[in-house]
Amino acid sequence: MTTDSIDATIAAPARVRALVRASRFLQSSTQAGLAIVIAVSWIVFELVGTGFLSSFNLFTLGRDVAIDVVIGLSQMVVLAVGRMNLAVGAIGVVVVMFTGWLMQDVHVPALLAVALGLALGALAGWFNGWLEVKTGVNSFIITLATASIYTGLMLIVTKAGAFRVLPFGFTDFGTRSVLSSTISPLLFVAVGVTAALFFVYRNATLGWKMLAVGANERAARLSGVSVPRMLQLAQALSGLLAGLAGILLLSRLGSAVPALGSDWLLPSFVAPVLGGTSLTGGGVAVVGTLLGALLVTGTTNGLNIVQISSFWIQVFLGLALLVAVMLDRLRAVTSERRLVLR
Amino acid sequence: MTVLSGRMPVRATATTLVRAQWSGLLLAVVAGSVALAVSTDNFATQFNQYTLLRNLSLTLVIGFGQMITLAVGELNLSLGALGGLVAVVSGGMMDAWGLPLALAIVLGLALGAACGFANGMLITRTKISGFIITLATGSAFAGIDFGITKAQPFSNIPSALVTFGQGRSGGIPYQLAVPILVALLMGLLLNRVRLGRHLLAVGGNRHAAELAGISPARAVVWAHVVSGLLAAIAAIMTVAQLASAQPTIGDDWLIQSFTVPIIGGAALAGGDVSATGTVLAAAVITLIENGLVLENVDPYWVQFLLGMLILGAVGLSRFRSARVRSA
Repeated sequence: MTTDSIDATIAAPARVRALVRASRFLQSSTQAGLAIVIAVSWIVFELVGTGFLSSFNLFTLGRDVAIDVVIGLSQMVVLAVGRMNLAVGAIGVVVVMFTGWLMQDVHVPALLAVALGLALGALAGWFNGWLEVKTGVNSFIITLATASIYTGLMLIVTKAGAFRVLPFGFTDFGTRSVLSSTISPLLFVAVGVTAALFFVYRNATLGWKMLAVGANERAARLSGVSVPRMLQLAQALSGLLAGLAGILLLSRLGSAVPALGSDWLLPSFVAPVLGGTSLTGGGVAVVGTLLGALLVTGTTNGLNIVQISSFWIQVFLGLALLVAVMLDRLRAVTSERRLVLR
Repeated sequence: MTVLSGRMPVRATATTLVRAQWSGLLLAVVAGSVALAVSTDNFATQFNQYTLLRNLSLTLVIGFGQMITLAVGELNLSLGALGGLVAVVSGGMMDAWGLPLALAIVLGLALGAACGFANGMLITRTKISGFIITLATGSAFAGIDFGITKAQPFSNIPSALVTFGQGRSGGIPYQLAVPILVALLMGLLLNRVRLGRHLLAVGGNRHAAELAGISPARAVVWAHVVSGLLAAIAAIMTVAQLASAQPTIGDDWLIQSFTVPIIGGAALAGGDVSATGTVLAAAVITLIENGLVLENVDPYWVQFLLGMLILGAVGLSRFRSARVRSA
């Protein structure tokens, strides 16, 4: 089949264009499907429960979605290079505690504290990538170990204490609304990051290089892409985004608590995979990740409104991930069939 | 290299001992015990031995639960959640339903094996990576666990089970019988039983194993069934130790379950695990935890050290395999 399609590539460029268009269509149809599911579920929640579409609930939902999107993107960027990051939650909480400490005890201005926090997140992520490149051990074990190390260090240093005295401007950003009573400023951050990543993977050379590493490492190396550099870059980016998610959460909660981040792992995979990001690398769905987070967070919120216990919602999250990967699998099978049929 | 003299086998045994991957671990266990016995007053007391061996019992069974999936080149992220589910279900059967102890235990173990079977079937039928499947089922198990208990523990546990979990004879906890049995059976399974050899063959080279007539799907399902069963055993041991079936049981098993077999010398690519190494690794980890408690060190160091141990162990095995290749 592979040789077949290569022959076809040489013989008929028009066909290749058709193939590319078909695969784009498949991806956009995934996203259209997601959008429809989101719309239907929201209507159902509004009809069954009360107040799902009230401006207060939409505001709360928007704040949660903003954070979940960034968590999902922080996993997506490592999935793009065919790796994973089990330390997203650990990096997130380390950045939360560090930024909280800078603002409360060192009295660093909020913007500078945020910048330093993001830098620490990127550094922690880069270290994961560096370890993988230097030792050749797979990212699962590396990030499993560093997640434990980062969390342990954070607990040792903070003695599991919290930072609760944060500047008003910083916490106001995460609690107020802008333009109308339903829109949180956090949403602008999430949408901005999504747009930036969309641009990186669609138009920037760097994005293409990272996808090339994820799709076929050998081929990428042979065509002059530095695989180690791309791996470290992707992990650093993942750390940066995990840190950003932490800072958004900190701004919303108004206090830095060491227990944050412990439940990020599952949602970090659910959003990108639901959105159509391939687990084996080489394919990302940036807008899909946004929609995936919107679906999962919306459903969690809706189940809460129809008074289903949060424990059963965890079951739902697990099932959502299973359904998402099965759809992904189905997509791969059908698109293979299409290739064969051509 | 013909063996002529009668002394050769002895020397050969000594060489094997030194060359074995776990020789360093054995040294660490001995040196660590001596150091702790000298530097602290409480290490050598019967009560501390009891505490140490009780923790070791649990750590070991949890480690074996992950080792068996690593053997076949898989992993089980749902181990802890599965354990929690078994703990509350069997606890519930004893407390709320008043089932006989033996029946509740058997049903609990069966539930663990069934959950493992579900993991294995989902992985082999859908061909989705075991990482994602067990991440998802882990969330589902934990959700069901908390959903049926509403986060409340079952505390009316039969006294026979509690005696077994908390009783001791001198410095030896009764519970130690379980990990000894498990370790023997696992050693036997991996070295002497056809199924165990098949698991390792599939873990070592799935394609070659398939060509040799071994079904990889069957091996993967079996590994997950055994993993689920071991998680269930660990869960019931914890219920016995705590005298209560708490829904939070298993929450902190994940990192431990990987640390034990990885330090014990299991290759993550599969096909290479050592039951002896796993036992010694569990002993090292338990000693470290015990030492930190005895020296009054912040308990948060445990988490940090577990991570460092994993990195150190993988780094060391890389170094060793690089030397073997260049030799």
